[in-house]
Amino acid sequence: MIEIDRVEVRFNQGLPTERCALDGVSLKIPAGQFVTVIGSNGAGKSTLLNLLAGDVMADEGRVVIDGVDIGRRPAWARAREVARVFQDPLAGTCEGLSIEENLSLAAARGQGRGLGRALDGGLRRQFRDRLAGLGLGLENRLGDRMGLLSGGQRQVVTLVMATLRPMKILLLDEHTAALDPRTAAFVLELTDRIVAEAGLTVLMVTHSMRQALDHGGRTIMMHEGRIALDVAGERRARLGVPDLLAMFEEVRGETLADDALLLG
Amino acid sequence: MTVFALLGALETGLLFGLVALGVHLSFRVLNFPDLTVDGSFPLGAAVAGIMIASGIDPWLATGAAIMAGMIAGMLTAWLTVRLGILHLLSGILVMIALFSINLRIMGRPNIALIGETTVFTPFQGMAPSHLYPLAFLVTTGVVMLLLGHFLTSRLGLAMRAAGNNPRMAGANGIDTGWMTILGLGVSNGLVGLAGALFAQSQGAADVAMGIGTIVIGLASVIIGETLAPGRGVIFTVVAVVVGSILYRLSIAVALNAEFLGLQAQDLNLITAVLVGVALVLPRLRRRLAPRRGRARTPVTRTVQ
Repeated sequence: MIEIDRVEVRFNQGLPTERCALDGVSLKIPAGQFVTVIGSNGAGKSTLLNLLAGDVMADEGRVVIDGVDIGRRPAWARAREVARVFQDPLAGTCEGLSIEENLSLAAARGQGRGLGRALDGGLRRQFRDRLAGLGLGLENRLGDRMGLLSGGQRQVVTLVMATLRPMKILLLDEHTAALDPRTAAFVLELTDRIVAEAGLTVLMVTHSMRQALDHGGRTIMMHEGRIALDVAGERRARLGVPDLLAMFEEVRGETLADDALLLG
Repeated sequence: MTVFALLGALETGLLFGLVALGVHLSFRVLNFPDLTVDGSFPLGAAVAGIMIASGIDPWLATGAAIMAGMIAGMLTAWLTVRLGILHLLSGILVMIALFSINLRIMGRPNIALIGETTVFTPFQGMAPSHLYPLAFLVTTGVVMLLLGHFLTSRLGLAMRAAGNNPRMAGANGIDTGWMTILGLGVSNGLVGLAGALFAQSQGAADVAMGIGTIVIGLASVIIGETLAPGRGVIFTVVAVVVGSILYRLSIAVALNAEFLGLQAQDLNLITAVLVGVALVLPRLRRRLAPRRGRARTPVTRTVQ
């Protein structure tokens, strides 16, 4: 169970440009749930993801994973609980290292790292099996430098890397936004497959309403640092993109109306 | 060139190979341009020198020199990682501070070690003089083996990731700050070792002996990389030491070529020209063979 409890995040505190990126957000994600997050630019969806990843610290409130408050830990100290795939396809892998070295790094995510060998026959076999399942022929290129792969291939490998070890939550930060449509579809389909097989808990930020509804079991819409909409189950199943769009407009409209009231 | 000059170049090349390995670790593996080495090289010499002159066991003195170098490197990394000082500046600050510290350690600008028992004393007695570089070959060889082993271990891989992609390293649970501190410690420990051995083989420790250490180290790394571009870790470790030996050989050739009329004081000029050439060489090579470069690209990008 992932619990975000009345979290506030403010940027540029004390400056004229101060902005409340998260304004008292509370969210509970039970184990095994796949949550999609949508919202316009600056709505706070990336801040929400970075709050769980440890790139952003809460000014108020708590971040709790399975009863343990991890809110003060830096990103590297949360790696045992949190796995992530970045938006930039090149960000999740080391281009100067080989494919197998990258996989070996990820296979030890959040673990102690001693002077034992980083690679051995057993690990290579395991990596080859995982990559063979992708059908990209990468299993024969374990020794190749990561920098030789295309952005799409690297994002696929990043996704595999993120799921090599068990985690409490998988964070997907618009991980298909920078890919061409065909590759994006492949990565999304792979995501669904891996998540279903391992029963992972996922938070996926996306720009696409279609993606938000087609994947996972619950959708959250962020607006001005708050959760404006939270749908799951039956109600979500009946929603289409036009409905979501209408709700989106409504949320924005209401806020405007509120402002008008205040100003009047 | 005489056999004596050749052996001398080989010997110095192997010894400064340790510096080159240290510089490779900071500049290339950790992507941290560390200038501390100009201070940690004479630091190693100073610590070993004063201890040996006081009658302490030379092996113990050499060990202490390694420790001193490690502390200096970790201090530089700490200034950058924890206090946020620009990496180049941290190195310069520690380097300049070490000049005073080295004078304090030695109590005078230089210490003569001629006649003292050093780690090389046993070798001097038993082998013919042309086998003398063997001692350096063994030392540098052992360090190369250890470093190669380290860089392919889980910890070493984590360090390489921290230098290559800090964000990815962090997401995989690697404390990149600690990796930088540890890596610069190991790097300057190697440089301190080189300083201690250099002082013992030359028979003196001098506070000014560190000037230009970083350039020599960098020259060796660049020459090594030019010879063996984009190979594996172990290969690069060997190439860097070979680069160091080649650097010394080219210097010896340049100084020994009568028709060039170069003298010992031209050393820094020759170094600058050598490093310049080594830096431009890969680019020249690419320009001369553009077809081969282009033909390889589609092969590597077949899928998506």
